[in-house]
Amino acid sequence: MSERAELLLGIADDELVLGWRDSEWTGIAPFLEEDVAFSSIAQNEIGHARALYELAAQELGTTADELAFDRQPEEYRCCRLVELRLPDWEHTIARHWLYEEADAARLERLKASDDPEVAGLAEKIDREEVYHRMHAQMWFDRLKDEPRFVAAVDELRPLIDVRDGHSPELTELWEQMTEVRRSQPAGTTW
Amino acid sequence: MGQREDEFLEYVQSGGQIEVDDWMPGEYRARLRKFIEMHGNSELMGVLPEREWILRAPTLQRKLALTAKVQDEVGHAQLIYRVVEDLGKPREQCLDDLISGKSKFHNVFHYPTKTWGDVGVIAWLVDAAAIISQKALLKCSYAPYARIMKKICWEESFHILHGRDVVLTLMLGTEDQRELVQEALNRWWGPLMQFHGNPIPPEDDSMFVWRIKSQGNDAARQQFLDGYVPQIWELGLTVPDPELRKDEETGRWHYTEPDWDELMHVVTGHGPKTADRLDLRRAARENSAWVRSVLLAA
Repeated sequence: MSERAELLLGIADDELVLGWRDSEWTGIAPFLEEDVAFSSIAQNEIGHARALYELAAQELGTTADELAFDRQPEEYRCCRLVELRLPDWEHTIARHWLYEEADAARLERLKASDDPEVAGLAEKIDREEVYHRMHAQMWFDRLKDEPRFVAAVDELRPLIDVRDGHSPELTELWEQMTEVRRSQPAGTTW
Repeated sequence: MGQREDEFLEYVQSGGQIEVDDWMPGEYRARLRKFIEMHGNSELMGVLPEREWILRAPTLQRKLALTAKVQDEVGHAQLIYRVVEDLGKPREQCLDDLISGKSKFHNVFHYPTKTWGDVGVIAWLVDAAAIISQKALLKCSYAPYARIMKKICWEESFHILHGRDVVLTLMLGTEDQRELVQEALNRWWGPLMQFHGNPIPPEDDSMFVWRIKSQGNDAARQQFLDGYVPQIWELGLTVPDPELRKDEETGRWHYTEPDWDELMHVVTGHGPKTADRLDLRRAARENSAWVRSVLLAA
């Protein structure tokens, strides 16, 4: 696989898995407004993943859906931070803030890429990520003096760079996300 | 009823609408608030049956569409609770009463969603039944409620398209996929037939008398059958009611009498998933209570 396809898949997997995790808040967030916000963020992240997979898929001769769903869990390249199931608000916001900060730096690098397709897509993605960063920063400012939030940020910070191997939580998530799809032969339309 | 109440009744029955600061009879305010609150509760509880499948959506497009649909329902709850707030009951109180079982929500949200087939049938047919009820609120005598219903009906019409597309795709797929839809239809038909309520004459239905809604229960059910049974048949599905047929002379649909005892049992909090779903909502609310207190203290 080319270096370019590897790069695209790494970012797409981060966005896909984070989007999937964020969508776990749909319906049960601390406020109705946050329910709506997290659902929007989840949709944006999954939309970004789809665009990145499409770019990689052209090169790999496959489709975005096949890349998103039909690989084995160990083939995903996402970082440890996004794959964890975090059913509480302090860890969710800590992850959201840490990820957006790291993602912003990554998008800056991609926007400067000499590959016009990659740079153009990064530009487009960044236009939505601006709002995610505002949302994450707003919550960071509100919670920054809460000991449970500070502890969650410290706990999760190292995981953003961990990309060797996965936690069992990714396999659990993969089993859920592919459950319907795996129930019928490959190539079935849904 | 006093003269002022009589005049109010005549006004709303001739198509008049009132605003939040206008005078209204106590009984009208109480019934209106209860009705709208139940609508808000239903939107919010309606999130839970489909939420379970957001994590299992089988393609990126379905994932995006289902998340967006469920998000819309939360948005509707948010809008509707604002109208309830204007009528004197804060949102937090509505949520507490919902969780404690003091207030009610619609029958269809008390049932389990067993397969991806249910996801299609809910988005197509439950939302179709709901839009018929909601269109009967577009001329509601309480203007603030009628106004938000325009946005809600517009969004619900997209949900129906999404649901129909899920169902159609499955019907064009494998034998197993077609079975998923038929089984889901068999499960949902009873609750769907109960959805619009027992067939009390409109003149005895206080919601119609006060022109909170503009259509009686049975008229709504007839409209649902007329709009959707032909489409269900066209897709090659069987409606699980041997009595179902349209009388071409009268234009009325005949059907097996829905199980009104089941409806009463379910909406009073005894549905197969009532306790689980309220427990989930209660746990989510307890787990995030600290977040609300931090924000309120700021």
